[in-house]
Amino acid sequence: MDKINKAMTAEEAVSSFVRDGDLIAIGGFVTNRRPYGLIREVIRQRRRDLYVESGASGGDVDMLIGAGCVKAIICSYIANSGFTQVCRRFRAAIESNAILFDDLSLDVQTIAYHGAALGLSYVPIKNMIGSDLVSKWGISAEERVKHDKLPNQKLILMEDPFDPGTTVCCVPTPKIDVAFLHVQKAAKDGTFQIHGPGFQDLDIAMAAKRTIISCEEIVDTEELRRHSAENTCTGLCVDAVVHQRHGAHPSQCFGYYDYDPKFLRMYDVASRTQEQFDVFLEEYVYCCATQEEYLEKFTAEQLISLTVDPVLGYKPGLKR
Amino acid sequence: MDWTPKQMMAIALSRLIEDEKLYVIGTGLPLLSATLAKNTHAPNAKFIFETALFEGSPLEVPTSVSDMRINYKASVLWPQYRYFGFLSLAASRGMIASGFLGGAQIDPYGNLNSTSIGDYFHPDVRFTGSGGANGIATYCNSFIIMKHEKRRFVEKVDYITSPGWIDGPNGRSKHGLMPDCGPLAVITEMGVMRFGDDKRLYLSEFFHGVTAKQVADNTGFSLDVSRAVESAPPDLDALRILVEQVDRTRLMI
Repeated sequence: MDKINKAMTAEEAVSSFVRDGDLIAIGGFVTNRRPYGLIREVIRQRRRDLYVESGASGGDVDMLIGAGCVKAIICSYIANSGFTQVCRRFRAAIESNAILFDDLSLDVQTIAYHGAALGLSYVPIKNMIGSDLVSKWGISAEERVKHDKLPNQKLILMEDPFDPGTTVCCVPTPKIDVAFLHVQKAAKDGTFQIHGPGFQDLDIAMAAKRTIISCEEIVDTEELRRHSAENTCTGLCVDAVVHQRHGAHPSQCFGYYDYDPKFLRMYDVASRTQEQFDVFLEEYVYCCATQEEYLEKFTAEQLISLTVDPVLGYKPGLKR
Repeated sequence: MDWTPKQMMAIALSRLIEDEKLYVIGTGLPLLSATLAKNTHAPNAKFIFETALFEGSPLEVPTSVSDMRINYKASVLWPQYRYFGFLSLAASRGMIASGFLGGAQIDPYGNLNSTSIGDYFHPDVRFTGSGGANGIATYCNSFIIMKHEKRRFVEKVDYITSPGWIDGPNGRSKHGLMPDCGPLAVITEMGVMRFGDDKRLYLSEFFHGVTAKQVADNTGFSLDVSRAVESAPPDLDALRILVEQVDRTRLMI
């Protein structure tokens, strides 16, 4: 058991497992447990032409778009809720047709990720019927054929074979190349625990061909094997384990820290123009070769002030 | 005691929430109104979030449907996909009283746009996208919250993110949607609108300080105001609970 060691640096994980043109999925939900540390490394290594399955994403995907990493986004929701209502680099890119995009509802993306984790090629659902999510394809059939990573059809409407006269919407499950997650505890063999809400993380970890996790704490493999009932996922689904304290900063991490309002407000301003955003990237991404260097940008007080109350589960009275 | 239009809006929305019933809520005004309802006339109302975090009692206003503040005293913190199964099953059993929706644009039949203004393929303004809104519009009744501006209340929305009554009484069934659920009311800072038998919006109530004509003038399609009455003013106890307890820091209102 002790022989398996998937622990490595973020630099090693991204250079080994993330390629230009990959289709990626990201864990967490808007300002909660997004793997910001890993995503900064993807940007720092200047990956290009990524296809992003957005889920409910936030500043992390906004940064990928602003940094020029993204070729296409399959979008259902993107905001730093409470701080930026619609992520700004995303908005600018769509309004200037800089990237390909298509829209699904959040329900559908979630069900499709679950279907992917079940090994299904599509999911038959009732969602989106009667709306423009079905009738308007952001990426047309003609365009889709040019992209190996995208299904040739956004969806197919058909009669429910078990309920004649009614319609189901068949949505293809995404073929995810790389999933990125930030979790609370992991062992070097890749076994990990997510504490609190899981969002779509386990599904994308299973469905992806390669899965990179960052963790607040590396725990003894033996220790996790003694608490099998509390483990979320086997290392059989994981390729790289990266120890990153505050790996979800500036988003929340259940049991550890709240979101960072000061940073999120700063990002709201910094993301307003490409010029300001480029300055932001230089300071917080390109100049920081490691998570430790990134954390040095903040005082100990600022980071400690985000620590959650153990009973309430968040930082009470946090100035937002 | 005086009140702002937004506070009146929160109270009008809160009045629509019934005790013992189940609602899908988002953050922002729906959450404030839900919390107010629970603290006043609907102590046994139940609220679920689209992140599969169910029945929590947040002490502070959450900024999103995934904010850890929502976890407080929740019954379950499920993986997200469980919400979508629960939604369709519960809705088909009539267990969900309503969800809450909003948007950048609304048309006379309650179809909503929260995707983009202008040509979808080359938009003038791009928004977040559907989120869970389309799911709520598909499966549940809904209360819609809007800013009352002429450019938002349009004859035809640029993109249908969340289907309402589509185009009339048979609209939903013609388009493969469940016919007997859909938007029930639209609440703005000016008043409350409901849907007639023709499934078109009409003005039901206008708030104190507003006239029915003002509402019609701020609506970009023809709005029947013949049935409109002035809303009851806020119950002062409810108003006090709203400003002193539910949204002390004026995060939302």
